[in-house]
Amino acid sequence: MKRLIKQIRFNITAFHLWLAGLAAVMGAGAVAGVIVFARGLVVTHLTDLVPWGLWITIDLSSIAMSAGAFLLCAAVYILGLKRYQPLARTATYIGLIGYSMAILTLMLDIGRPDRFWHALVYWNPHSLLWEVTMCVTLYLTVLLIETAPIFGEMEWMQRRFPAIAKRLTGLHKLAPYLAIVGLCLSMLHQSSLGAAYGILKARPILYRPDLSVLFMVSAMAGGPSLTVLVSMLANRLTKRAPVDDELLKKVTHFIGWVLVGYLYFRVWDALAMTYTYQPGKTEGLSMLTKGPLSFNFWVGEILLGTVVPIFFLLNKRLRLNPILRMVALGLVVGGVVAYRWDINMAGQLLMLTYLPQQIVPRYTTYVPSLIEFLAGAGVVAFGVFAITIGIRYLNIVNHKPVEHEPEPVLEAEVQPAMGD
Amino acid sequence: MQNHPLKRRDILKLLAAGGAVIGGLQYVRLASASEPVGNSKHKWVMVIDQAKCTGCGYCTMACRAHNDVPPDISWNKVIQVGKVGGKQVFLSRPCMQCEHAPCVEVCMVKASYRRADGIVMMDYDRCIGCRYCEIACPYNARAFNWKPFNEPNPAVPTWGTPEVPRRPRGVVEKCTFCYHRIDRGLSQGLTPGVDEGATPACVVACPVQARTFGDLNDPESNVSKLLTQYPSYRLREDLGTMPHVYYLPTREETRHEALNKAN
Repeated sequence: MKRLIKQIRFNITAFHLWLAGLAAVMGAGAVAGVIVFARGLVVTHLTDLVPWGLWITIDLSSIAMSAGAFLLCAAVYILGLKRYQPLARTATYIGLIGYSMAILTLMLDIGRPDRFWHALVYWNPHSLLWEVTMCVTLYLTVLLIETAPIFGEMEWMQRRFPAIAKRLTGLHKLAPYLAIVGLCLSMLHQSSLGAAYGILKARPILYRPDLSVLFMVSAMAGGPSLTVLVSMLANRLTKRAPVDDELLKKVTHFIGWVLVGYLYFRVWDALAMTYTYQPGKTEGLSMLTKGPLSFNFWVGEILLGTVVPIFFLLNKRLRLNPILRMVALGLVVGGVVAYRWDINMAGQLLMLTYLPQQIVPRYTTYVPSLIEFLAGAGVVAFGVFAITIGIRYLNIVNHKPVEHEPEPVLEAEVQPAMGD
Repeated sequence: MQNHPLKRRDILKLLAAGGAVIGGLQYVRLASASEPVGNSKHKWVMVIDQAKCTGCGYCTMACRAHNDVPPDISWNKVIQVGKVGGKQVFLSRPCMQCEHAPCVEVCMVKASYRRADGIVMMDYDRCIGCRYCEIACPYNARAFNWKPFNEPNPAVPTWGTPEVPRRPRGVVEKCTFCYHRIDRGLSQGLTPGVDEGATPACVVACPVQARTFGDLNDPESNVSKLLTQYPSYRLREDLGTMPHVYYLPTREETRHEALNKAN
C-alpha cells in the first residue's frame, strides 16, 4: 500500500509538470486566439495571394491523424477483426480530439466565425468544402456517439450519475452501424480534402485528380500510426495503459504496406508531371524538388516520412524493436504533416499570371506570424492535453479484456442463427 | 428479442442505403453546378480597349468611391503590360464575371452566385470568410477584408459617393459590375451602357472612353458591334472560365474610329 502511494505521488508530480507545460502552451494559444478574434486576421501573415497557411495545415493534419478511428472501427465491426477493439477505442478517442482540433483551427481561420453555422444551413453541394463540412459535422457526431461509452465507463460518471453512465455505455450497441456510417463519411471527406485542392484550375501544380487518392492513402498511414504511437508511449509512461503488443505489431505491419502504396502513388504522381512542360505545373514541381519546399519534400516526406519507416516497419527484426518502431511511427506522422504543408504551400507560393503573352509563374512568400504559431501551438497542445487526460482518466489505452461488456459484433458473428 | 444482433443483411441494407444517399448527392450536385439565379434577357459584358487606355487609374478611383472600397483594396486594378511601338500598354482588370466562375463553384455557402444576366454576385451577409474563392480565382479579382474599414474613404467625395454598404471585416469582396446601378437604371427605364446612371462607375469615369458596357444579347448594343467588328480576346481563355470582360488589343486606330466604323 505504501509503495503504491509513493508510486502515485511520483507519477502525479511528473504528470502535473507535463500538464502544467501543456496548460502554459494552451494559455498562450488562448491569448493568441483572443487577439485573432479581437483584431481580425490582419494579425496573420496571410495575404490575398496566400490566403491559407499554417492553420489549414494543422486542420488538414489533425483530420488525417484521426483516420485511425474509421479504419480500426471498420476492421473491428465490419471485417470482424474483433481483437482490435481496444485499439479502435484508442483511435476513436484520438479521432474525436483530432476533429475537435480541426474545428478549433477552422474557427480561428475563417473570417466570420460567428457565421460558422452558415455552412450547415446554406448548401452548395457542388463545393468540395461543403461536402467536407457536412461529412466532418456528421462524422464528429458519429465520433461523439462512438466515444460515449468511454465516458460512460468513467469511474466518476458511474459513481455520480449512474443512470447517464448506463445510457452512454449502452450506446456501444450502435458501434457496428456507426462503423459503417463512419467509414462512408471518412472516405468521402478524407479524399475530398485532397480534391478541394485538386479542382483548383487557378493553381496549376494542384490541378490534378491524384490529390484525392494521395490524401486518402496518406491519412490511412498517418492515422493508425498516431494511434499505435500513442498506445506505445502511454504504455511506457504509465501503468494504467496495458497493451497487447501483438496487436500493435500487426497494425504497424499494415502501416508499412500502406506506406509502400503511398510511396508508389506519390512517385508516380510526381513523375507524371515531368513528362512535358506545363506552365506553372513544371515550375511548381521544381519548387518541390529543388526550390524552397525541397527539404520538406525529399527529407520530410520521402526519406524520413516514407522510405525509412517502410524499412523500420516491414523488416521484422527492426519492427520488433519498440524504440525503432516508435521512431518510425513518429516519422510517418511527421511525413504526413509535411505532405499537407507542401501541398497547401506549393499551390499558393506559385501561381500563373493572367496577362496575355505573359502567362508566367508568379512567386509569392509566406512565413506564419508569431500569433499564428502561438494559436496553432495552443490547438496542438489542446490535442496532446486531451489525449493525456484520456489515457489517465478514461482508460483509452487499455488492452485488458473487459468482462462485463459483451461485444455486439461478437454475438452476431458467433451466433448468427440465434437472431430470433 | 430485444437486442437484435447485427446481421449481415442489415449491414448490406445499410450499405445500400448509403449508396443511395451518395448517388442522390451526385444527382443534386450535377443539377446545381453553378446554375445562374433568376431569369434575364440581358447578358452584360464589358469591353476594354487597350489602344485607348492610358493607365490613368480613374476607373480604380471611381470604383473605390462608388463601391466604398478601402484604399488598400482595388476591385479594378490597372497593370502595366509592356510596350507596343514605344507606347506603354495597360490592362485594366475588373472582376471577369466568368460564365463558369470557379469562385461560384467552390463557395460552400453560395455567398458567391451568378445571376442570369451574367453578373457574379457576392452575398456579404452570407460569406463566412473561408477564402476558398480567393484561391480558386485565376484573376486575383477577389480581396479579403483582413482588417475593418472604419476610416473615411479618401476617394470620397472627389471620385463619387458610395452607393452600396461597406463590407464588414472578415468577408471577401469583389467587383460586381456595379449591379446596383444597372438594376436601378433598368427600373427607371434607362439603358445600361448608354445612360450614365445605369452604367458601371468605372465606365462612366474613364476619360478616354476605353471602356464600353452593354448587353451582348442585343446585337445593336455598342459591345456587340465592337466585338463583331474587332478582334478581341479574354484573359486565360484556356481555363474555360468564359469571362464577360473582353479586351481589344492595342493598335493604331482609336476607339472612336472603331465605333464609327461599327455604326
